[in-house]
Amino acid sequence: MLIFENILLALTAIRSNKMRSFLTMLGIIIGISSVIAITSIGASAKGVVGKEFESYGMNNMYLYVNWAMTPDGVDYEDLFTPEDIEALAARYPDDIQYIAPSISSSSKTKIGRTEGKLNMTGVAADYNKYKNMKMLHGRMINKSDVDGQKDRIVIDKKAALYFFNNENPVGKTLGVVINEEMKDLTIVGVYEIEASIFDGMRASDSYSTYVPYPILEYSDPATSYLELYTNEKKNQNDLGTEFSQYLSRIKGKDPQFYTFESAESQMGTINNILGTLSIAIGAIAAISLVVGGIGIMNIMLVSVTERTREIGIRKSLGARTSDILMQFLIESMIISAIGGIIGTGLGVGIAAIGMSFAHISVVIQPSVILLAVGFSAIVGVFFGLYPARKAAKLDPIEALRYE
Amino acid sequence: MTEDIIKIENMVKVYANGEIQVKALKSINLTIQKGEFVSIMGSSGSGKSTLMNILGCLDRPTEGHYYLEGIDVREKSDNELSAVRNKKIGFVFQSFNLISRTSALKNVELPMVYGRIDADERHERALELLRRVNLENRADHMPNELSGGQRQRVAIARALANQPQIILADEPTGNLDSESSVEIMDIFTIFTKLNRENGNTVIIVTHERDIAEFTDRIITFRDGQILTDERLRTKEVIPC
Ligand SMILES: Nc1ncnc2c1ncn2[C@@H]1O[C@H](COP(=O)(O)OP(=O)(O)OP(=O)(O)O)[C@@H](O)[C@H]1O
Ligand SMILES: [Mg+2]
Repeated sequence: MLIFENILLALTAIRSNKMRSFLTMLGIIIGISSVIAITSIGASAKGVVGKEFESYGMNNMYLYVNWAMTPDGVDYEDLFTPEDIEALAARYPDDIQYIAPSISSSSKTKIGRTEGKLNMTGVAADYNKYKNMKMLHGRMINKSDVDGQKDRIVIDKKAALYFFNNENPVGKTLGVVINEEMKDLTIVGVYEIEASIFDGMRASDSYSTYVPYPILEYSDPATSYLELYTNEKKNQNDLGTEFSQYLSRIKGKDPQFYTFESAESQMGTINNILGTLSIAIGAIAAISLVVGGIGIMNIMLVSVTERTREIGIRKSLGARTSDILMQFLIESMIISAIGGIIGTGLGVGIAAIGMSFAHISVVIQPSVILLAVGFSAIVGVFFGLYPARKAAKLDPIEALRYE
Repeated sequence: MTEDIIKIENMVKVYANGEIQVKALKSINLTIQKGEFVSIMGSSGSGKSTLMNILGCLDRPTEGHYYLEGIDVREKSDNELSAVRNKKIGFVFQSFNLISRTSALKNVELPMVYGRIDADERHERALELLRRVNLENRADHMPNELSGGQRQRVAIARALANQPQIILADEPTGNLDSESSVEIMDIFTIFTKLNRENGNTVIIVTHERDIAEFTDRIITFRDGQILTDERLRTKEVIPC
């Protein structure tokens, strides 16, 4: 087999023709680097999306009217009443940890000369237990705030900093307008939430706050959206289906009348999109690998022709057909493996640079690298086979006569 | 007892280039015994190289038989022919045929690479061979850094690498200046020693009558046929 000798021979041949070797590798380099970059970016993005959803809680769910089922608009009776919510919570005591109408409102507020906009999300008691948030001062909205419909508010760290500098704002009040009514809300707590990749997409001029949900309700407290935190040990899809079908039943509707969206299913959707994207771009990369392979074949054919005389000499000295075959096969394999290694480095670099713009640390999958280098070597063997066979089958005397 | 190491029967070689057919050898019969020192002469185009290429198993006859050590080479497989070229025959070409991007030493090692001799021994033996042709101080030189005579001596060292019994040399000094007679004599001295001291069967193609006269037997070709076959000396046959 003369593996070692042939590797040395291949390296010498590659070195003695550096520019050409590099250009030969280019197709493989481009193919492999795009595969590595894309899969690394995909894996990194997947990791980030997963973390993002974890911070929301993977057991977060919304129940709502399936708009597709009501082409003529939603009737008032179709909305969720406090009785419906109670009935649902009572029916599934073990599976529903938290349930509240999902209502929000926004208002301007002013502390001295500092003016700003608040986005108020209505919550029931102990919301912080389910959503991944940290209380810095005071407490979260509790049961007595909700039951007593008290004018209380929990603000975010950034709002605290903006309106009150570094002072502890607990006990201070914020004047807001809710449903065209002036209200002074007493701050009972300050929270912090981990930075999210979606932060940039949100309107930066409004601060997130939480208030007891009843104070956001109109005189008639029927809502179209419910927010839930469910039993995380169960399949979220099954739970969502069960809940929405139960609601449909008690309200005398078709089973599909109410529907749900869970964090899990959203993450699934995003992962699906990322997956499809990776496959699509991966296919393009695979095509460029094939093109790279054809480039190698082309150059190897030229190289065989150029070295016809050398092949003749080797054969005259006793090289077997298989020796010459191995020589050229190993050469094309090494060319494409080197291309694969350079491509891997480049791909990781591209992924790292790309991800650093998004402030995401890059996830490198060793299996992908192994696969890429292995695959490029296979490309080398596959596309090197024809030129190598052509070289190996040369007749010694014909090859020696070649000028 | 002598052994017919090479035996050729009714050998014909026809080169067919499309329409035109060239009959380079016309029914040759020839026997060469082990340990003979033979020169082949003849005008240009008379078929000398054609015969040598067939003897060296680089080419195949169109008709007839070539028995090497009593075995018809027609019966041999591709790999067996490679082994013959590697171990039994050392071929020296007019145009040296060194591999250009490879040092003198590596060129000499090449037949041993294909003979699967391990790297250390290969290296040792290649150095020893270069010493024998007085080129040990040129081991790391590339062929283009050597004179014609030096190149041919590297090529001879390479031909001897696997200690073949038969040495075939097709106009080994044909590419050297006729003025460099010292180089030419050096090369013929090597072949003479190989035959006289080592017992190799040596066959040389040459155009020089005075060179041919160093050998024991002169075969003259004309137009694809053997014209004369003269024995200058009969070798004292060593009884065995
Ligand atoms: N590959 C070939 N194709 C066609 N004809 C060839 C080929 N090789 C040799 N010939 C012809 O065969 C004949 C014998 O050629 P050969 O090379 O054996 O001559 P030679 O005796 O070695 O001559 P020289 O002394 O010039 O080397 C010549 O007529 C030559 O033209
Ligand atoms: Mg000739």
